[in-house]
Amino acid sequence: MSQLGKIADSVDSYNQFVSAEIARARSDPKFAAELRTRWAGLRASVGLTRSPTGTPLPRLALPETDEPGAIAEYLFGQGFPGQFPYATAAYREMYLDTAIGTGEEPMRLFAGLGLAEDTNARFKYLSRHQKSLRLSTAFDGPTLYGLDSDHAGVLGKVGEGGVAIDTVEDMGRLFAGFDLTRKDASVSMTMNAPAPVILAMFIAAAKRRFGADCVPNLRGTIQADMLKEVQAQNEVIFPVDASLRFLCDMIEWCVPNMPRWYPVSISGYHIAEAGATPVQQAAFTLSNGFTYAGLLKQRGADVNAFGPRLSFFLDCGLDVEYLVLGRVCRRIWAIGMRDVFGADAKAQILKLHTQTSGRSLIAAEFQNNLTRTAVELMVAYMNYTNSCHSNSADEPFTTPTEKYALLASHSQSILLEETGIFKHTMNLFGGAPGLLALERQVEQRILGVFREMDTLGGVIAAMEQRYQRSQIQESGHRIETQIYSGERPIIGLNKYVSDEPMPSVPLARTSPKKQRLQVERLRAFKKKHAKKTPDALQRLENVTRDGGNVFSELVDTVEVCSLGQITACLTGVVGKFRPMV
Amino acid sequence: MAVALNPHRAVRSAAVSRVPLRILTAVPICDGHDSAVTAINIELARHGIEVIYLGYHQSVSAIARAAIQEDVNVVGLSSYNGGHIIFFKEVVDRLKQGGNGDIPVFGGGGGTITKADERIMQRQGTDRIFFAGTPFKDIMALIQRDYARTAKPNAKFKGDRALARAITLAEQNLATRHSLRAAPAQKRARSFVVGVAGPGGAGKSTLIDELTSRFLLKNPSGRIAILANDPSHPDTGGAILGDRVSAIYAQDDRVFFRSLATRGSLTGLSAAAPAAIEILKRSGEFDLILVESVGVGQESDPFGSFGHGRCLTDAVLFVLAPHYGGLIQLQKIALLNGADLVALNKCDHPMARTAKAEIQARLNQNGRGQLLHSTTAAKHFDSGVDALFAAIAQLGGLSNSSGGEKPCQLEVAP
Ligand code: B12
Ligand SMILES: Nc1nc2c(ncn2[C@@H]2O[C@H](COP(=O)(O)OP(=O)(O)OP(=O)(O)O)[C@@H](O)[C@H]2O)c(=O)[nH]1
Ligand SMILES: [Mg+2]
Repeated sequence: MSQLGKIADSVDSYNQFVSAEIARARSDPKFAAELRTRWAGLRASVGLTRSPTGTPLPRLALPETDEPGAIAEYLFGQGFPGQFPYATAAYREMYLDTAIGTGEEPMRLFAGLGLAEDTNARFKYLSRHQKSLRLSTAFDGPTLYGLDSDHAGVLGKVGEGGVAIDTVEDMGRLFAGFDLTRKDASVSMTMNAPAPVILAMFIAAAKRRFGADCVPNLRGTIQADMLKEVQAQNEVIFPVDASLRFLCDMIEWCVPNMPRWYPVSISGYHIAEAGATPVQQAAFTLSNGFTYAGLLKQRGADVNAFGPRLSFFLDCGLDVEYLVLGRVCRRIWAIGMRDVFGADAKAQILKLHTQTSGRSLIAAEFQNNLTRTAVELMVAYMNYTNSCHSNSADEPFTTPTEKYALLASHSQSILLEETGIFKHTMNLFGGAPGLLALERQVEQRILGVFREMDTLGGVIAAMEQRYQRSQIQESGHRIETQIYSGERPIIGLNKYVSDEPMPSVPLARTSPKKQRLQVERLRAFKKKHAKKTPDALQRLENVTRDGGNVFSELVDTVEVCSLGQITACLTGVVGKFRPMV
Repeated sequence: MAVALNPHRAVRSAAVSRVPLRILTAVPICDGHDSAVTAINIELARHGIEVIYLGYHQSVSAIARAAIQEDVNVVGLSSYNGGHIIFFKEVVDRLKQGGNGDIPVFGGGGGTITKADERIMQRQGTDRIFFAGTPFKDIMALIQRDYARTAKPNAKFKGDRALARAITLAEQNLATRHSLRAAPAQKRARSFVVGVAGPGGAGKSTLIDELTSRFLLKNPSGRIAILANDPSHPDTGGAILGDRVSAIYAQDDRVFFRSLATRGSLTGLSAAAPAAIEILKRSGEFDLILVESVGVGQESDPFGSFGHGRCLTDAVLFVLAPHYGGLIQLQKIALLNGADLVALNKCDHPMARTAKAEIQARLNQNGRGQLLHSTTAAKHFDSGVDALFAAIAQLGGLSNSSGGEKPCQLEVAP
């Protein structure tokens, strides 16, 4: 039933394998000689560079050793960057050329506010100050819950906390003026229960602008991780089995049709922000990932085809465990995928997006948030995250205003382009003894949670028993009690508090006029398509009922139906999610 | 589902015999930020408060309906996704419109609700906002100071609020006579009352909700009432009553849903449950009344269905899941003798087949022709639930025909 026990065991046996290889390297001269030769080759392959003050540096820092045991420890225990078990990094020489402009830019700044054109303007503002096109979209509450902007009682939330998208026309406006087929363009969308509908709208809008054959060129990520929605973020519309089916339909469609697209981002961010400890975050996220892999395999999909299209998203806060969390997760994922799922190299790599912690940002003396985010960014990059979002200092109050969004963007540019920490040499910190000790502790605690969930019957069974939710809620309660008891010092809140009155912070709110405009646009769309809507919905209903691929139908449905109309149709067939405390 | 309280030390000892304060907490529509409210729920319960938690993504009407039916001292909203100025106002207005403006509304939303917002919101009837950085201790102290008051009879209350207040009075141990008098008792009593018992976690609440959907479909104009009993914390006296979160079909004006904390009663029901049933029956409003007991052990008999004395309900539905242990355990469950209806729930579970055979054999021993219903309450549109509802309808003389529509076409808010 559950694979989690097996996965935990596979990590333990891999660790035993590493110990055995270290011992062999020290006792078997032939093996030692082999390792030395390999090591010499690797070291010779490392290019050289110079700091601006003239210090010669390798482009990749490797342990300075020729001792075969230490070489074995490094190569098998951590892995050369881009090699199994990937603790060091998914790829070799990450970030190095970002400053001169030839490297892949890791920055993704999550943005969304008001109506589509407001977010479009924000995208333009941000990308003016960045190297490549990195458009990461935040949607408003009604959109996240699959409701139209004219749904009873939601008007006040339209365009708040994200952008309002009701139709394919809104989607067109959202990305107007951007060439989404450019090689370095990448779009991400934080969208979950309605993800198939929203991605279908994205495809339909792109086809309208760039022609029908643009689809394979579209690059980006949609979150669509429904397990963590049930556990932490609470955007669930359909019952769990239907939610998972819609997701798998979408993944199966995307794998062959959109080779550059990540159709799911398996997320721990929301789990951590809801209160989970770093260990709980990692354990729940990885176990969710393994559950998706199991589900897709069960449906007959090929692990080597879908494996490389799974991506991950973790939080990075101020707790010490974050120093190693990305490394530990990559390692467990790689071992589990290889040894339990039989995945090949490309399907073993955990590709990681990181966001600094929103919850660590505090209203009191909020300018301190700039420092908190800067520290978290440093830690995130020490984990060699593939992409990263940095929060704005006004996070506690509002959707970021331009000023603080730009400061957040620059905090990444300063770290990667201005300082020398990541520019010249990759892996300056990895392998430090303290970090390795921490890694082992964190890894074992994650495996402990796996084993506990295994006895509950696996992720989905545990979820039905409220296991993850109750764990997260208890941890969330603990954080708050620790803050108010002083056990968790927070400068400006419970320590070194100054008497300055709270400054008033500019807010990015959506005016009622704009909210009404969105409703008018939606009504016009509905009117325009009123004749075709019922048939399109009927076809969608039939496909859903007959067990066909819902996603491939949605790509057509969205041409003439709004998000809310589609949600209602799907709910009519599969029913509604029954939430838990 | 009763939510286990955080293992942290109780804040107030059980010896305090004050009537517990009742608070409704919820998160507004299109908002899933529940981390603050769930932490606050735990903290409130630790302070001996009964929290009726409605959940996240809740509409104005669902919140107002719950506040009225639960007759709470105060409503606490936790709002993060913006639009709070309008939303709080709509809740206040909705309460006022129905003559329930005496129920205060307060809330919080971290830094998203500013001091300037609070001034506007207070003008529009919101009591107060708890800003980011307010220690739990201060929140609890203010709530205890400002909202703890004993409910009194109020002749001005109408409809569900009058019923709700009568039940509150019964909970406060005021003479049942009192509460009954407060209840509007005119129409012909025609309610069919079914007690629902079974081991903890068997799926009683889920099944009740699915039965509610069947009732609403098959009885286009009737009303149904649900009394959900859940345990109080033995040390703090507080409780988190979370049944409403999962009761998706209870969000309909034709459903009267009331959460009752046991407040030290060990029978599986609140001591006020008999009076509450009587109040609901006397109102003549309800065709069907479902009473859920707390999870019961092998020997319990919350509804008095063994024939000594009067049975509290017209019929008893016993719900169990395939994990009852084994044949010996099954023999010992006394309610399997007394129950009129027996449902084996969680039939999606692999152990269900064996369980079905074992339970049917156990029922056959009774020689009462008890039929076993196999249900999967977690699945919508389950035909086993249809059959169970048909059996209840037949026993109680309720309609089971006027539908034909699918349950999904019910208006499920939001
Ligand atoms: C945690 C968090 C999340 C978590 C939520 C997890 C969960 N299950 O709750 C996750 C990551 C899932 C999340 C998601 C989103 N979030 Co968010 N989130 C936050 C964050 C970081 C902290 C909020 C929090 O829980 N704090 C902890 C609580 C305990 O402390 P507090 O807020 O200070 O509250 C105090 C008092 O106000 C009081 N209180 C609060 N409520 C109540 C109620 C009662 C009854 C009482 C008595 C007291 C009380 O208690 C606390 C103690 O004093 C805030 C930013 C921030 N730093 O505040 C953004 C924030 C609230 N999120 C925001 C947004 C936009 C979103 C998303 C819409 C993003 C998107 N487009 O996808 C989604 C929506 C999710 C959804 N389903 O609705 C915005 C809202 C912006 C706005 N209103 O203009 C914020 C402000 C961040 C930002 N600047 O963009 N988020
Ligand atoms: N697999 C499965 N799970 C179910 C079924 N019915 C209910 N559940 C789940 O079982 C858990 C307990 O359900 P509840 O309805 O709260 O059970 P209860 O008997 O009311 O529980 P208490 O009131 O705490 O005694 C929940 O997680 C439900 O989702 C079912 O038919 N199949
Ligand atoms: Mg229950």
